[in-house]
Amino acid sequence: MTTMTAARARRKLAPYLFVLPFVAVFIAFSVYPLIFTARLSFTNWRGTGAAEWVGWDNYTYLLTSPGFWNSLANSGALWLLIIPVQLVIALIVAVLLDNAKLRLRGFYRVAFIVPFVTPLVAVAQIWVVVFDTNYGAVNGLLGLVGLPDVGWLSTSEWAKPTLALLFLWKTTGFIIIILLSGLQSIDSAVYEAASLDGSTRLRTLWSITVPLLRRTLMFAVILQTLAVFQMFAEPFVVTQGGPYNSTTTAGYYLYNHITRADLGTGAANSFLLVIIVMALSLVFVRLLRAKD
Amino acid sequence: MHQHLPRSATRAVALGLAAVVALGLTACGPDIGSASSTKADGNLLQLPTQDSPSGEITIWDRSGDLYGVFDEAIADFNKKYPDVVVHHEAVDIDAKLQNTLITGTDVPDGVFLDDAKITGFSDYLWDLTDVLAPYSDKIAPQKLDVNSVDGGIYGVPFDSNPGLLYYNATALEAAGIDASKITTYDELLDASRAYKQAVPSAAPIHLEQAAFLSQLQLEMYASQLGTSIADADGQLRLDSPEYTQILTYLDTVQKEGLGTRAEYLSPTDIAEMENGNEVFYPWAIWFDFAPQQLLTETKGDWRAMPLPAWEDGGARSGAMGGSSFAIPRDGKNSELAALFYSFLMFDEAGYSAVWGPSDVYPTGLNTSIPSYLPAADPTAPLFEPVPALGNQDLWAVSTKASTEIPASVPTPTWWAGAVDYLGTNMQRMLDGDMTPDEVLKQSSDEIQSNLIDRQ
Repeated sequence: MTTMTAARARRKLAPYLFVLPFVAVFIAFSVYPLIFTARLSFTNWRGTGAAEWVGWDNYTYLLTSPGFWNSLANSGALWLLIIPVQLVIALIVAVLLDNAKLRLRGFYRVAFIVPFVTPLVAVAQIWVVVFDTNYGAVNGLLGLVGLPDVGWLSTSEWAKPTLALLFLWKTTGFIIIILLSGLQSIDSAVYEAASLDGSTRLRTLWSITVPLLRRTLMFAVILQTLAVFQMFAEPFVVTQGGPYNSTTTAGYYLYNHITRADLGTGAANSFLLVIIVMALSLVFVRLLRAKD
Repeated sequence: MHQHLPRSATRAVALGLAAVVALGLTACGPDIGSASSTKADGNLLQLPTQDSPSGEITIWDRSGDLYGVFDEAIADFNKKYPDVVVHHEAVDIDAKLQNTLITGTDVPDGVFLDDAKITGFSDYLWDLTDVLAPYSDKIAPQKLDVNSVDGGIYGVPFDSNPGLLYYNATALEAAGIDASKITTYDELLDASRAYKQAVPSAAPIHLEQAAFLSQLQLEMYASQLGTSIADADGQLRLDSPEYTQILTYLDTVQKEGLGTRAEYLSPTDIAEMENGNEVFYPWAIWFDFAPQQLLTETKGDWRAMPLPAWEDGGARSGAMGGSSFAIPRDGKNSELAALFYSFLMFDEAGYSAVWGPSDVYPTGLNTSIPSYLPAADPTAPLFEPVPALGNQDLWAVSTKASTEIPASVPTPTWWAGAVDYLGTNMQRMLDGDMTPDEVLKQSSDEIQSNLIDRQ
């Protein structure tokens, strides 16, 4: 009887023991930092000395700060410049690469992923040289057709599109791979049926591929929304947030608080950013469900 | 009959346990209470008393040329102190130091730091007043000032970075201009106007386009006038006649088309120097890297002289940047780190190893000069004349200029944050969107409300 009870207890305990390592790591590296950050966001701690409790001061400062809203507006503008264009390009390229008759498919797939794995700092240096106002190759080409020089990285009007172009060039290959995996999960019988019904390629793309790929597309949108709002390295190495803070993204603005040891405001900024990004993600998920 | 706890109760217990553990861990963070300094009495570091101390130290340096220079100098240190083992690590200090000091984990014994960052970390650093006492009357006063907080000194001063006026002597001579006669900024403007008349495509004076560096250069000009963005008490003093004078000068350069707007050593900057359009470069001594490494067409044409003065007889140089060595209080062998830095900076064998010929700099480290005055003797050069400057004796020029730098005050901890306001507004002025007065007024308001009031 005792043996049976001990065996039953072991059986009941086993699942908890199996998940214990994950729970321990999760608490140490996710829950604890989250609670610590929440606590920090109500202090004026600067990495030294005792932290003074300041209540909602950091939050009210940020919510009334033009700099904070400017950083969100910059990220929003970059989102608009990047995501729609990226989805269209990635979808078209993924469909082309999914064609079994395409020669050198492997080569193209590698070629599209190379920018994604290339170190950003190296790419950024190329960007700075190519988009230089006076001696850059891009303005050189514009000059050949009689167009005036453009301050790609030195004017607030053009710095965002130039940065968006860098982000597109760098990450579209990754989105192509994601969409490609989604395409390969679509049953070929659906396409065969469409073909028998006389559907054109464009109609097939619009009426079959896109709807069946909707979940994958939404996953890509959520992933890139997170990436755009957290974008930091690109403005850090190319424009340092300028000119006139026009490329200071939400991620870069947050970074500035942290490196300037304003850890309380940085923590509050993190939380506000998490709330905004979560809200955006929920909207996308809700849109997806509504269609389902 | 065995009874199971309801699933919801199990979940609640699990969540409760997780919350208790997490909250318990959170208590390991900083104390929340009234703000007060953690500085304690008795944080004065002393040098070791033994003749030949022993032990191991870990030293952090930035990767790059200076890492190589200091790495070579360790051998010279070990000739004098053979029982001290130096573990020399190349580290991204800006990214790593703050967290390391806060957590107190794997704290190095010594670290290379920008002068502007010393005050921000001073709570974690040893007061080096006693270590520096034998030398302090022979150290450039400006370097002691920037390392001082509340009467303590928190960095072993490394280098002086005097501002100099670099100029393309060949291009100016071809236009009939004798740059050596320039002694004031008014004369620099006159020379630039004359050069532009001779070379209509020219915009002779460099105007920095990066917000951070333009603010750093502004502070060099201000240093010449004996002022800075904040006083010794951290109070803002931007809205002043000195800053008005400097910004008015920069505004004039821009409005008269006498300035090349470009980021420091960007493709445009380099090209405009190479084609002879940009011939005056008021910058710290470390600009000499450009003619040595980047300006292949005009290498040998450039020269350096002290900065022009703002008024006749005024100071001919100001400080632009600079670094020091800090010693964290949580290091294991702080006294040995102090010994190491004292050797490098104040022992002839040490500073000769640093600034003298090395594998990294075969003719010596000529991008800065020592802040220890006996080492910066104009008659005893540590580095050789620079071929890229037409074999000019840069040592003589820069050591003389450094003696002209007025006394200073510590850099406020919010200095880098001010770039979002002052640096950015300066760029707006150079774009013609603001006047000098508007820059100073608006920047003062923004810095006060966003940075100083929130300290």
